Amino acid sequence: MTDLGLDRRAEVTPAPPMRFMTRVAAGILAAPVILRLATVLLLCACLTVATPNFLTEMNILNVLRQTALLFLVASGLTLVLIGGGIDLSVGANLGLSACVSALVLQATGSLALTLAAGIAIGTLVGFANGLLVAVMRIPPFIATYGMLWVLLGITYRVMAGESVHGFPASFRFLGSGHLFGVPVPVYLMFLFLGVGGLFLSRTRWGQEVYAMGANPEAARLSGIPIRSRQILTYTLSGAMAGLAALVLLARVNSAEGDIGEAMTLPAITAVLIGGTSLFGGLGTVSGTFVGALILTLVINGMNLLSVHSNWQPFVAGAIVILAVLVDRLTSQRQS
Amino acid sequence: MRLIITATMATLALASVARADGERIAVFTKNQTNPFFQVVRLGADNAARQMGATVTHYIPTRPDSIPEQISQIEDVTVRRPNAVVFTPVDFKALTPAIRRLNEAGIPAVNMTDRAERGNFVAFVGAADYDLALTTARYLFQKMGGQGNVVALEGIKGTLVSTERMRGFTDALKEFPNIKVVATQAASFQRLAALQVMENLIQAHPRIEGIFAANDAMATGAIEALEAAKRQSLVVGINGTKEAIDAIKAGKMLASGDYSAFLHGCFGMMAAIRNLRGLPVPREIVFPARVVDNTNYQSLDIAPDQMTCPAWDSVVTPGRS
Repeated sequence: MTDLGLDRRAEVTPAPPMRFMTRVAAGILAAPVILRLATVLLLCACLTVATPNFLTEMNILNVLRQTALLFLVASGLTLVLIGGGIDLSVGANLGLSACVSALVLQATGSLALTLAAGIAIGTLVGFANGLLVAVMRIPPFIATYGMLWVLLGITYRVMAGESVHGFPASFRFLGSGHLFGVPVPVYLMFLFLGVGGLFLSRTRWGQEVYAMGANPEAARLSGIPIRSRQILTYTLSGAMAGLAALVLLARVNSAEGDIGEAMTLPAITAVLIGGTSLFGGLGTVSGTFVGALILTLVINGMNLLSVHSNWQPFVAGAIVILAVLVDRLTSQRQS
Repeated sequence: MRLIITATMATLALASVARADGERIAVFTKNQTNPFFQVVRLGADNAARQMGATVTHYIPTRPDSIPEQISQIEDVTVRRPNAVVFTPVDFKALTPAIRRLNEAGIPAVNMTDRAERGNFVAFVGAADYDLALTTARYLFQKMGGQGNVVALEGIKGTLVSTERMRGFTDALKEFPNIKVVATQAASFQRLAALQVMENLIQAHPRIEGIFAANDAMATGAIEALEAAKRQSLVVGINGTKEAIDAIKAGKMLASGDYSAFLHGCFGMMAAIRNLRGLPVPREIVFPARVVDNTNYQSLDIAPDQMTCPAWDSVVTPGRS
């Protein structure tokens, strides 16, 4: 018990500036994306050997399109995790954004209003999460878990147990359209892969998010406005959930109350497989892309091989454990 | 004097009406997300209105949450409605909660999903097995008795999914030239079904038929087929509004009618009739009916515009 107390005090004591800077640098550079890319290549090689249908243009586009939706949610979540937080409400936020957008589209037929509604709700919910965590000082796990239920409640009320379906082709283009033979969500994925990567590695804000996640106390003492950066990460995560909601809606052509529920865990999983630490300070958006790709490939492969569906959750779970295990081993080596 | 007698008689008449009237019924459904249960609730409300009873709905805020439904049952045991119309979120897990209800002497009707154990006035619902058997058989007939078929399962381990897959498998035995090229789970969800079908389309160049264990998965599969410019005969189960629209538009072959509205109507009627001492059979199971482009009209109405049919027009005395 005494040891624990001493440890906690030691954590609060600011680390020497040099050590702090190295940790930040390590956070940016060390995520072993290469290792994960190798995993992807190995997976692809196995699948190519195992099934003649894997390495076809159409299947590759398929996998990328399926990855895109997961990535859009997971990319925003990556910022939150790097900043030392967690957002359990992303799926519910996505669900509410999708349902309200669907109702707006049904009522007005206006594309602009629908897009605005989706993004606005996602962003607002993210901002509210940020306020709860940064200003009200509620632990992120609890704040966003509470928000999850608040959002589900609103969503069920808004939908009243009904479903909204059948959207115009102009809107559906966002989720199921193609440009030069490539699905539209795939463009969005690569756009935000670039934007997210640049934000984290090239902007001051991005660096500050790493610093905050690595050691909030040290970051605060070195003059980083922690609260505003926390609010920023949650807001951006919310905005991405709103965007993903629109893509999902345009893809499945239907909204009902539980539309977002299946998204939270896969998104968190993709972020973790991608090498982002649950404890903050470490991670990249490109890692998350690879994480989302691995998850999608595994399911795709099992579908192509007609693997009995009982095995799919087993394999997905095993991969999460393996990914975190690899993470522990590599990070131990670094320290 | 005469006046007094009339007044007394009127009071008595009113009192007796009030006694037979205004039963308080608690209705338990599984979630607020599946449109199916919304229609069930509308059916229950409609029947209660017709018979002059009042309804309180109990729905877990977290879809299909076992602990939440258990505590709702506990609350209801304290509040003591006249009767309960009950859909368990889980086949087995609610057994102790139902025992409490029985011990409290509150009569209960089991609706839609069967509970494993417990004393019920009646079971009101559809037979998942028959529904799947009939719908799959219809699909195989329309395929001309041959070709490749894909099955999309619901949530593994649920009674509904298991029974529907059992019906599918048994229908398959009647058609030796139908080949199942894949059976994959899509958890009753649209997006999961869409992505699973996108993947399966890659692996199987010829898929003549798709059997989905519910309509949400069927419509998800249809999206995947359309995007890939492929054609298959698709059937689902539940007879949801969305499936009816797809059948009308010629995108979907058929759906097994799960008779959501009737579940609510007859669940409620059975509870009230029992309280009023009228006969109620132990089992009210609606016949399996396939809805296709020849007979969808009866379901092509907004659920809040539907009216419960009369008891005697559906339930005949002596029918099990």
